[in-house]
Amino acid sequence: MSIDIGRRQLLAGTAAAGFGGLALPDSDASAQAGPRSNISVRVERDPEVIDPGFRTGPHDGNIIRVVYQRLVRHRANSGELEMDAAAEVTQTSPTIIDFRLKPGQVFTDGFGEMTAEDVKFSFERIGLEPAAGGRASPYRGDWAGLERVEVTGQYTGRVVLARPNAGLMAIALGDVSGCIVSKRAVEQRGVEHNTRPVGSGPYALAALERQRGATLRANPTHAGGRPAFNEVAVRFIPDHRATELALRAGELDFAVLPPSVAEPLRTVPGLTVSEQPGLQYIWMGLNMEKPPLNDIRVRQAIRLGLDVDQMLLAGYNGKAPRLNALIPAPILGHWPEAPSYRRNVAEARRLLAEAGARNVRLKLLVLNQPAFQNMALVARAQLQDIGVTVEVDARDGGGFWSAGRGDAGRDIDMYMTVFNGKLDPNFLMQWFVSSQIGTWNWQRFASPEFDSLAERALAELDPARRSAMVIEAQQVMDRSAAFVWLTNNVSFLAHRSWLRPASVPGWLDWQYDGFATA
Amino acid sequence: MRAETARYLASRLVTSALIVLGAMLLLFALSALVPGDPAVTLLGPQATPEFARQFIREMGLDRPLHERLWLFLTNVLTGNLGTDVLSGRPVAGMVLSVMPYTFVLTFGAIGLAVLLGVPLGVFAATHRGSLADNVLAFISVAFIAVPSFVVAILLLLVFSIWLNWLPVLGAGNADDLWDQARRLILPMAALAIGWVGFIARLVRSSMLEVMAEPHIRTMRAYGIPERLVTYKYALKNACIPTIALLGMGVGRLLGGAVLVEIVFARPGLGRLIFDALSVRNFPVVQGAVLVVVVLFVVVNLLVDLSYSAIDPRMRRGGAAK
Repeated sequence: MSIDIGRRQLLAGTAAAGFGGLALPDSDASAQAGPRSNISVRVERDPEVIDPGFRTGPHDGNIIRVVYQRLVRHRANSGELEMDAAAEVTQTSPTIIDFRLKPGQVFTDGFGEMTAEDVKFSFERIGLEPAAGGRASPYRGDWAGLERVEVTGQYTGRVVLARPNAGLMAIALGDVSGCIVSKRAVEQRGVEHNTRPVGSGPYALAALERQRGATLRANPTHAGGRPAFNEVAVRFIPDHRATELALRAGELDFAVLPPSVAEPLRTVPGLTVSEQPGLQYIWMGLNMEKPPLNDIRVRQAIRLGLDVDQMLLAGYNGKAPRLNALIPAPILGHWPEAPSYRRNVAEARRLLAEAGARNVRLKLLVLNQPAFQNMALVARAQLQDIGVTVEVDARDGGGFWSAGRGDAGRDIDMYMTVFNGKLDPNFLMQWFVSSQIGTWNWQRFASPEFDSLAERALAELDPARRSAMVIEAQQVMDRSAAFVWLTNNVSFLAHRSWLRPASVPGWLDWQYDGFATA
Repeated sequence: MRAETARYLASRLVTSALIVLGAMLLLFALSALVPGDPAVTLLGPQATPEFARQFIREMGLDRPLHERLWLFLTNVLTGNLGTDVLSGRPVAGMVLSVMPYTFVLTFGAIGLAVLLGVPLGVFAATHRGSLADNVLAFISVAFIAVPSFVVAILLLLVFSIWLNWLPVLGAGNADDLWDQARRLILPMAALAIGWVGFIARLVRSSMLEVMAEPHIRTMRAYGIPERLVTYKYALKNACIPTIALLGMGVGRLLGGAVLVEIVFARPGLGRLIFDALSVRNFPVVQGAVLVVVVLFVVVNLLVDLSYSAIDPRMRRGGAAK
């Protein structure tokens, strides 16, 4: 972009600034430029820790996924797994997985060839109790049931589980918790490894700057082939509107945006906007322990008093698909016949009267984000019609995420929240078991039947039987009337038309190494 | 005279230290009152109760408030601002890495505001009641009234999107000064505009007050050229309130340019504090706020000391009239 100031342009600029109301141009030279060897993508959170065991969220995970290799990984834009660092992975019994590494896979910065010792170290540091004084990984749950990893040769080993774990492939082995670090590098670099990682993946971390983001550069020593782009600039841009402007100006090639910001970009030449179903799950939970919500008829009345479609219209411009049960379509155990409750004010009033609930006043806790606040306002208006007065309590992340912890959670009436999903049903179900009451089960939904089904589904390796159990578990949730399912969200991708982005379905887990020219 | 100055300086230093201590005490008290569990907020569902306890212990949040404050202050005396429990990075390093961006933006914006605001204020004062004075009054108030982030968006739309003269985001390539300078222009202008209005209004009213004083009338009676009276004698005295305002301005912008930093995706101290606070990353908040408070106090101390250099009456303990 050169600075070439002409008189006409100056006058045009001054006039525009004066009038304030601006008609944005539909074309921009840089925006229409063709494919390049470098791309820049926007992230909403500052990358913090590029170590699989101590990452701070999906934004770190997306970088980690390309800096390291796993035994198996998801194909680009697919939920299917393919070999990555492993030449062979075999489930020899429900509790034993044998693996054989491809030889000649080397770590960056001269840390040598990857061996089965590195695999053992990587998996056990996350999945097992740390040695005295060591720091436990917050992602230990991904490796539920791990007993040990045995090294049987330079390139061969065996993952031994104490009990079967059907989600292990999708959640651990094939994802971030299954990333293989260099044992020597971690021991040598210590805490510095968080920000100066040593991997063997398709990209190496060239820079990690506070508040600016990260730079990924194609790793010349990666054994699995070169990615389509030499460099990926991962830019931390907190503001959606600034992101939109950067896309228009050609300074950014890819971003995920809310519908209201992404829609106007459809008319910008050189940019493509597409909608992708999400893998998050957003719902309204009702505290089953607190009166009057401890009466199922009151919970049923609230469920019938709400018009979910209207709420989604307010929250997501009607662009987000409705969710009727916990598990969305791409995940095993999806319940297609789940009831889609329609608003029935008369029936809701009848249920409240039958329960003897008069002058009901409830507090609805939400995150102070536009989508949640808008949906909460609609819910308040709708519940007023059935005689329930709702006070909306909108809090920032810090105040919100602590509200249901411990005994404080007993005071919650209703809340609306979002959790991130993965391509495994048990990952989504784990937060609703009884042991999560006081932690993440804010409905205080205590069902031995659900707990048992969740546990059995985790150990069931036959997909059909497992799917049936997951559906049954959702039916138990439905009967409790403690959940008003809203949506699994939608991602609006805005990108250069010559760019084909890649992600595991759901657009939470991006695959920078799968980004290619269209 | 020297003893008086030394006493004044010593008392100001003691006051400054007390201000820093008070601010930190307040910050620690607030961090105890603000709702939100840092472990849960930072780590989300992965924060198992055991891990949350470990995390809280590492942050030192399981200790009593006075113990935490004492530990923090004793560490600060050895140059240790603490450690970011998430990444394991020293907070001092994090602050130092963003401080140059904040300094350049703050001093650049204030410098630009002075460069535009002072001449406009003088012009308005010397043309009191004219059409130009009224137009300038309107523009100044408009500049003051429009929030900097609105100006920032408007500037981006015009100069980056429509005219395509300047880049949109970031602070530029670390080894490319030209790139950095280009990316500084719009954020600096967005921050400066409000201060241009402030300074112009303040200089105008101060100038009018000073111009009405007897010593200015005397100078005129002696036939000293009007230009000399205005710029050499009147403006010098009229500058004192403006310098006080600049001290406040620099202090505020050091930590308060956060909205402009967010819009332009620029690194900065304000954003560091904002981001850390939103996830209750208290070690980072405490370290960064301490730096902002110290800078604020130092700048205001320098401003106070500069009065006596400008106006000798201050040195004698009298108030500038």
